[in-house]
Amino acid sequence: MYRYDEFDAALVRERIKEFSDQVDRRSSGALTEDEFKPLRLMNGVYLQLHAYMLRVAVPYGVMNSCQMRRLAHVARTYDKGYGHFTTRTNIQFNWPALQDLPAVLSDLAEVEMHAIQTSGNCIRNVTTDVFAGVAADEIEDPRPWCEIVRQWSTIHPEFSFLPRKFKIAIVGAPKDRAAIRTHDVGLQIVRGEDGQTAFRVFVGGGQGRLPHIAQEIAPAVRGQSLLAYLTAILRAYNLLGRRDNIHKARIKILVAAIGIDAFRDEVERQFAILRHEDLRIPDEELARIQAYFTPPPFNDLPATSPAYDAARRLNPEFARFTRSNLREHKQAGYGAVIVSLKPIGGVPGDITAAQMDVVADLAARFSFDEVRASYEQNLVLPHVRLEDVHAVWSRLREAGLATANADLATDIIACPGLDYCSLANARSIPVAQALSRQLADAALLEKLGPVRINISGCINACGHHHVGHIGVLGVDRKGEEYYQITVGGSPDEQAALGEIVGRSLPAEEVAPAIARALDRYLEIRNDGELFIDTVRRLGADPFRTAIYELTDAAA
Amino acid sequence: MQLLEQVQDGVRLSVSTPEENIRAAAAANDSLILEFEAFRDGRGFSLAAVLRGQGYRGRLIAAGKVLPDQARHLRRCGFDAVELSPGADPAPWRRMDQVFSAAYQAASGDDRLVWRQRHTNPDAALAARLNARWGQADAEDLLRAILDPALGRKAAAISSFGAEAAVLLHLISRVRPDLPVVFLETGQHFFQTLAYRRELTERLGLTDVRDIKPEAAALSQADPRGDLWRSAPDACCAIRKVQPLAQALAGFDTRITGRKRYQNSHRAALEPFEAADGVLTVNPLAAWSADQIETWLRDHQLPRHPLVEQGYPSIGCWPCTRAVETGEDARDGRWAGQEKTECGIHERALVPAC
Repeated sequence: MYRYDEFDAALVRERIKEFSDQVDRRSSGALTEDEFKPLRLMNGVYLQLHAYMLRVAVPYGVMNSCQMRRLAHVARTYDKGYGHFTTRTNIQFNWPALQDLPAVLSDLAEVEMHAIQTSGNCIRNVTTDVFAGVAADEIEDPRPWCEIVRQWSTIHPEFSFLPRKFKIAIVGAPKDRAAIRTHDVGLQIVRGEDGQTAFRVFVGGGQGRLPHIAQEIAPAVRGQSLLAYLTAILRAYNLLGRRDNIHKARIKILVAAIGIDAFRDEVERQFAILRHEDLRIPDEELARIQAYFTPPPFNDLPATSPAYDAARRLNPEFARFTRSNLREHKQAGYGAVIVSLKPIGGVPGDITAAQMDVVADLAARFSFDEVRASYEQNLVLPHVRLEDVHAVWSRLREAGLATANADLATDIIACPGLDYCSLANARSIPVAQALSRQLADAALLEKLGPVRINISGCINACGHHHVGHIGVLGVDRKGEEYYQITVGGSPDEQAALGEIVGRSLPAEEVAPAIARALDRYLEIRNDGELFIDTVRRLGADPFRTAIYELTDAAA
Repeated sequence: MQLLEQVQDGVRLSVSTPEENIRAAAAANDSLILEFEAFRDGRGFSLAAVLRGQGYRGRLIAAGKVLPDQARHLRRCGFDAVELSPGADPAPWRRMDQVFSAAYQAASGDDRLVWRQRHTNPDAALAARLNARWGQADAEDLLRAILDPALGRKAAAISSFGAEAAVLLHLISRVRPDLPVVFLETGQHFFQTLAYRRELTERLGLTDVRDIKPEAAALSQADPRGDLWRSAPDACCAIRKVQPLAQALAGFDTRITGRKRYQNSHRAALEPFEAADGVLTVNPLAAWSADQIETWLRDHQLPRHPLVEQGYPSIGCWPCTRAVETGEDARDGRWAGQEKTECGIHERALVPAC
């Protein structure tokens, strides 16, 4: 993984100095709260319902054990002993004291971490495929490009005061495991006509109040021109994006308003007049960054491990875990282990300091010192020898991190909701917990297969409800928390927005209604057909009927 | 960037003015004032960048609602000056403008560019970073850090299989026993050194020790009788050590040595990581004392070079090595009576002869 050199380290130190200066000027009154707010947001500091919240960047979700241990230290020392992984693969601490923030940032800087641009109207943490460098279908590892975009976008002189936040995701495979079409800009690595690295570029995706699936703006932008093309997109957006209405300020609204073709013309016009020599990524810098992502020294192993196979035969619980939480690795004899942060009845994405230490130990011992955060709010140990998977599982199980539900119905994405967030209309966590308990039966879960259920506590859609196979949206109905259900959304290369099935339900009816929809799926599916494919084949109607069955009968 | 305390005369346009009108105004005026209506409205940054990208050489002044925290952004997007609001304190403007020592993006202004700086002397930067981070670490951790595949270095070690060589080789055997280890087989070694090379290699389980010999053709031409050391020891070292090593290490960007500060005054300032000529040199034992070496050898029961007990604390080729007396430096027995203190493999740029 990438390591800081003295330039990267200096920049983070200087950023802390800059922020301290800003805090001092706020204290003295030289900065008003209105002026200070965007500055603190760009340093990851939010004011939530009950306290300040600090969001720490995990660039493209990649950490080493030392960084994970430091996050545990922060949780223990400055917070209430836990943190929360987000869909931007960042981690949030919900209870730090304002006066501790400089110390937290210094502690993080020591292990090459920061909170820069984790909020605010700027370019946010770039995300990627959690299986980058692992998946066999990968054309090229996207992480070096993520690091290039990270550096280029950090404290960008032109793009730090955009109309609204700006999110970029990059994948290196045709299979989209990073939901790039829900991003302001999604980048997919392809081979250009010359055989060189190129990027298929999508623009104008986003969730929130007015969701849009991103549209293709360019089929193959050459790698060397990537930053020039991104600059052209951002410049067009910065000049033309709406600033009169916060709900209509994202690039998706601009693209939808003028149309993708007109927007493309505008981008190409800007692209044509850019100083390309300043934006070309130097070959030696690309090579330097790529060197950090060379594969770890894998052993030559047979594709199967007798010890692993025997453990699966002897222990059904372990076998179930491997079926749901172990992913294939392109290196023979290795696998990627998904560490579930979705225990039955738990808070999705939450992890205690003790659990962070366990994951750090396992990463150091079994996964070449690497751990990844996924946008689904889980962690991944990317490079585990098959013969070690049982040992990893045992330790995860002791720590409450081995729920066998990756990509299954209880692998719920949920935002913090009204329990923490000042924007929320309704709580997300209790609904996720009730649903998780309702669907707790492991055999049922496995029978249902992959189902993505996403819950947001308000229309801002931090819980990605629009692109859940089943989505749940908290709404405020005259002071009561109600929940609207959508069906048929999808975050991947067949991205789609879910269809609202009908009137919203009170909290206690959400889990049973979703359980009925899933039961209906089991009745009507073809052999081997996934939930989302059944929805695509039959539409939302059968599920709508199931969801409202009881309430309709009562009425 | 210039801080202007008076209201400026000239063409004044709001940043909400369409780009084409701004460009037209720029074409007609050699000075433009862009008025920010809200500090959150970042259009002015792009407008300035567009004008500068198009080659506008006139004066650009930012005015209106801007914060000191935007000073650097304004300057780097191409503004020359900012019109301060009445009574504004210029001090934070100056501080915030200079708060960062470098920038990732090429832009207007004279900031140090990280992507350029890195490649003007990349190994020096790396060495500085590694010294800061690992300089105080213990030798094994340091070795592990530099051999971490994530760093992407192509590394090899150099060993004389001399008096203290066992320590470095022992550490290597614990971290990466298959690391290439280059031994310069000069053809002039003590027979005890050759025996020791075999014994130690086997005992430590090193799997890639390479005997590097001088080129036969070069030897027969420059030193046909094998006595060049008498008349020209530097030339002898060059042909037997420096050139063969350069060839052996071509393709490696990192070399690991067992050099220590205490060995002689020339090595007194030795850093654990050094960079020169595109090669990173790693000296994990730089800070070790003679006592630490002895303790390590004893505690790990490592075999000793047979000549050590005969008073040779530093061992090279037989013609140029003698035992040392009490009170002499460890390397005083090398090229004794001459100015020469080093054979040259650690000092010069290693350029393969071919």
